[in-house]
Amino acid sequence: MAIPTLSRKRKLVTRKSPSLEEDLLVAAVPDGRLDGFSEEEDSNAEESVGESDLEDEDDEISGEELDSGDELDSDEIPSEDDDEDGIRKQLRNLKTSNGSNGDLVHTNGDRRRVRSTSPSLPSVSVERELERAGSPEDDSANYTIEKDANGNTRYVYRPIDPVYDSDDSDAPATTNTIGDIPLSFYEAYPHIGYDINGKRIMRPAKGEALDALLDSIDLPKGWTGLTDPATGKPLQLNREELEVLRKLTRNEAPGDGYDPYPDMVEWFTSKTEIMPLSAAPEPKRRFIPSKHEAKRVMKIVRAIREGRILPYKAPSEEEQEDLDVINYDLWANEAPRPDHPMNIPAPKLPPPGYAESYHPPPEYLPDQIEKQAWEDAEEEDRDKDFLPTDHTALRKVPGYARFIKDRFERCLDLYLAPRVRRSKLNIDPESLLPKLPSPDELRPFPTVCATQYVGHKGRVRTVSVSPCGRYLASGGDDGTVRVWALFTGRQVWSCKFSSDEAVNIVRWRPGRDALILTACAGDSVYFVVPLSLCDPNHEVASRAVLDDGFGYATTSSTTTPTTKPTSSKWTRPTQKLQDAGVLLQITLNAPPKSLSYHRRGDYFSTVSPASTSTAVSIHTLSKHLTQHPFRRLRGLAQTTSFHPSKALFFLATRQSVRVYDLQAQNLVKTLQPGAKWISSLDVHPLGDNLLLGSYDRRLLWHDLDLSLTPYKTLRYHSKAIRAVKFHPNSGAVPLFADCSDDGSVQIFHGKVVGDGMENATIVPLKVLKGHRVTAGLGVLDLDWHPKEPWCVSAGADGRCRLWC
Amino acid sequence: MATEDATAPAQQRQSQVRIHLHTKSGDIELPQDTGSILVSTELKRYQLSTLVNRLLETDKPLPLEFLINGQFLRTSLDEFLTKNGISAETTLSVEYVKALIPPIYSASYEHDDWISSVDVRSQRILSGSYDGLLRVWNMSSEVVGTGQSHTSSIKAAKFISPTQIASSGMDRTIRIWKYEDAQAAGAASLTPTLELYGHKASVDNIAVHGNSSRVLSASADHSIGLWSTKKAEAPAAPENLLPSANKRRKLSNAKQLPQRGPLSMLQGHQSQVGDVCFDEKDATVGYSASWDHSVKTWDLTTSTCVDTRTTAQSLFSICHLPESSLLATGTSARHITLIDPRASATTISAMTLRGHTNAVVSLARDPNTSYQMVSGSHDGTCRVWDIRSVRSEASDQVGESVYVIERDSAKGKRVVAGEGVKVFSVCWDKDVGIVSGSEDKQLQINSSKPSS
Repeated sequence: MAIPTLSRKRKLVTRKSPSLEEDLLVAAVPDGRLDGFSEEEDSNAEESVGESDLEDEDDEISGEELDSGDELDSDEIPSEDDDEDGIRKQLRNLKTSNGSNGDLVHTNGDRRRVRSTSPSLPSVSVERELERAGSPEDDSANYTIEKDANGNTRYVYRPIDPVYDSDDSDAPATTNTIGDIPLSFYEAYPHIGYDINGKRIMRPAKGEALDALLDSIDLPKGWTGLTDPATGKPLQLNREELEVLRKLTRNEAPGDGYDPYPDMVEWFTSKTEIMPLSAAPEPKRRFIPSKHEAKRVMKIVRAIREGRILPYKAPSEEEQEDLDVINYDLWANEAPRPDHPMNIPAPKLPPPGYAESYHPPPEYLPDQIEKQAWEDAEEEDRDKDFLPTDHTALRKVPGYARFIKDRFERCLDLYLAPRVRRSKLNIDPESLLPKLPSPDELRPFPTVCATQYVGHKGRVRTVSVSPCGRYLASGGDDGTVRVWALFTGRQVWSCKFSSDEAVNIVRWRPGRDALILTACAGDSVYFVVPLSLCDPNHEVASRAVLDDGFGYATTSSTTTPTTKPTSSKWTRPTQKLQDAGVLLQITLNAPPKSLSYHRRGDYFSTVSPASTSTAVSIHTLSKHLTQHPFRRLRGLAQTTSFHPSKALFFLATRQSVRVYDLQAQNLVKTLQPGAKWISSLDVHPLGDNLLLGSYDRRLLWHDLDLSLTPYKTLRYHSKAIRAVKFHPNSGAVPLFADCSDDGSVQIFHGKVVGDGMENATIVPLKVLKGHRVTAGLGVLDLDWHPKEPWCVSAGADGRCRLWC
Repeated sequence: MATEDATAPAQQRQSQVRIHLHTKSGDIELPQDTGSILVSTELKRYQLSTLVNRLLETDKPLPLEFLINGQFLRTSLDEFLTKNGISAETTLSVEYVKALIPPIYSASYEHDDWISSVDVRSQRILSGSYDGLLRVWNMSSEVVGTGQSHTSSIKAAKFISPTQIASSGMDRTIRIWKYEDAQAAGAASLTPTLELYGHKASVDNIAVHGNSSRVLSASADHSIGLWSTKKAEAPAAPENLLPSANKRRKLSNAKQLPQRGPLSMLQGHQSQVGDVCFDEKDATVGYSASWDHSVKTWDLTTSTCVDTRTTAQSLFSICHLPESSLLATGTSARHITLIDPRASATTISAMTLRGHTNAVVSLARDPNTSYQMVSGSHDGTCRVWDIRSVRSEASDQVGESVYVIERDSAKGKRVVAGEGVKVFSVCWDKDVGIVSGSEDKQLQINSSKPSS
């Protein structure tokens, strides 16, 4: 029972306006007593006094007010007999706007403020009376124990009330003479109290209900509908008081003339008055040193001298140890010393210039753009690590913002500084590269594709440009040999040699006197005079060259019979081929894969890797004679070449190149190119240099006079090199080219000086791309125009291209 | 107020320049000499053209180009003056010329094989083809006459006169044809009248001079032939170069054509001769361009080489520009080199016209002016050039093409190395326009005039 009561009580307390009578009634209930009750009661009473006094005239309409459903709890005791006066409402709003129904102290404070701001409301005496009557034992407990939100006990101290005879000057003077007794005590009586003489003070005249109604209709000035609790008269509030109340309810500052934000009055100002307030001269003490201070300082000095005051704390044990560690100052006494790698002299900083000045001349100050540029630049890229800034006076120079960072970097420098100076070679890496001429100076060289020759079905395996430079011969997998007009790309002659075997090699016979094309298809070597292309004179000459041997063979075979059974047959081809211009055929043991002419065009050599003992053959065209000079070969023969001027013969096996002297019939030297599998070989027209291409992507330049190992190894291709070729007119056009399975032709400048005093200059010039890589094969062969810097390549994509 | 008046004319004066308008072509001459006119430097070609048209009081505005100090005005006058460092206070001598209207594609004549040569004379288009046929077309794309006598591809064909045609080919001969014109398709007759023997290799180009009935031929056998088209004048053909008699009989037992030899064979080139031409002013002078990089001047009366100018590239074509005494040669290095053949000239190359991407194999002069020409290249385009529009570069004067004529068959695509659309021959006629023959078997006509 007790606890519910208490809780109810507390609720009561929090509620804002129980009528005074009810409070008293509850207070009289003995079993509801608990420790904190009296305080609550007190405060409750105290709180409610102002209000109840205000409202007690309007009891009769309180029921309506209850129903009006204000924002308080619904279990409120129905004693809420507020009137519907605007001020009341505003008061309530004020309270709710404070937002805390349950905060007793707060509510109390609010009440108090209302009271204190309306000086006409006498309350203190009433309160005191109530206190005395209701709570005799409240001397002992000055607080209530409450449960706070966390359930802990919370002591809520009652506000101290000034007692009647206290010297509280804030207590308002009483305006009635009945004492501090509630009017309700006298409700049954016609009087409301007694004056000092013991005479009744009569209740002020109260009008009849009609009068009250009339009053309510014809509102007198200052009517509030309230009764002054102190006098029992209708409470009259003047305009100012109403304004104060209105402002209070709106949380505004009370009082009319109150300015919440007044201008600050600078009492102690930095401004120097032109006309000082005081004309008194500055006292002397401002100018002379204070004797008193000197005395005090001397006292301290004396104490220090005598050892009574220690200027610093005596070092502790640890610090003592630290002192033992010797910190070397590297550059303490820096005397010039002889240069030595172990000696790192202190860095010499340049003396500060104008820009470093705190007040630099204007020309050193950066403008807006420079400033922006400096700020935008990376820290390492800035030309100086500060911005020259102008300060009008040294005292206006601010603290150094980068101090910590600078120290840190300095420490890093010291920490990371090399302990030994490295003797650094100051060499520009560019200067180590050989001085190569720019490709632009080495023009002309082939740069773009000028003509494409379309017609072959399947790969084009081989190309050759005629010695006159007008025709291009090509042979391919479709077994045809085609001759094209070089620049227009018009096919002018073609012949199908075989339907199932590819044409491996086509070569024009060197020399301008005759126009003879040699083609290797299958096991045979064919000699062709493209009849439509050469004039009658040439035709006759060409026929003569090819047919001479028949006469030789018929005449000489009887006189000097061949000792060995020959492995080759020189015959006329079929009539069909003869009509097309094919005039001679050599049938070999195995398909020849490589063919090279001697410069004069009478001798040529073929390589048929398939046959071992007769792999390399040297043929004499004028005698229709085939010889096999190498009975036993070490290694698989790949390709051969004649020396352009000397009687030398180059034979490339897979990994080496042998040079034979044809006259002395001996091996001159064996070159060791270091390639795994040589694919092609070409001899420089001057004869002292050799170019090798290999399937392991190397292009090797051999200087025959220099050594057996390559002078230069170039590895620019990503796939096997198929063919290499010097330009035949190397004096005017010092170029060479190679082609590879990666689909590209590379053009190099390769200048050879005839006197042998200088090494060859090799400059890569151009990568010619255009051939498509088909089935892993790119460019299979290439050839140069005899005079011009034009180059022809044969692609596995079935096309030849002219580059110029 | 006074200061305002003073400053305003000063500003005006700054942005104005005195120009003196004149022209060399009589038909667009100004009615009276205007003297020097003060014009704003803001003016560009169009405004100047409008101005001159107004002065000429032409009914139809005539588009004009303006040449100042030998350069075309492509920017505003102000920029031109600034660029060339000319003071605005000098009186500019401005020559106005008729602007070249861009040549518009008008027609294509379909052939059976590659077209090696084209020529135009009096509304008839002559084409020589790789199939060995000579065709004459009228303007409504009909073959008026066909000539078949060459045993191999025709490489060159030219009108000597409206009734006479010369052609040469890979059969090493030059043939003279008699042409009888007719309007209907196939009605005209084209009969060979003369076979000229003397070359040992394909005759790649010929030049004709109708008045003196002379033909120059450029052959792959490094020689130049000088021929007469008159049967009586020409010497007998060299016996060793004639096709063997039995073969001849086998081929055609019909009537034997008269066979003649050259008036003279001009030897001197080290490689095959790309092109020949007559001097436009003097028919006794011939020029030849060869793959051996040289241009030779020949005195045809004495058959001697007068002058040799060696360039850096193989030369494929040549064209004489008489008024500027320049020879334009098309090179393998994808540009056109202008050569001054006069002995006094110190530099070999007077100007380089760049723009082609493959060998320039054919050149033709603009019949209207001697400053413009058209070139045909293996890159599949024809380009129109004006040698007046040049700019100076480090080494020499460089010009750029005015218009580019693409092959209609290429359909706007660029093919590598002009594959399939190589232009082999180009010709510029006053009436017909630019005619070009190409690997795409189309004879393409581009006309500057609106097609009727």
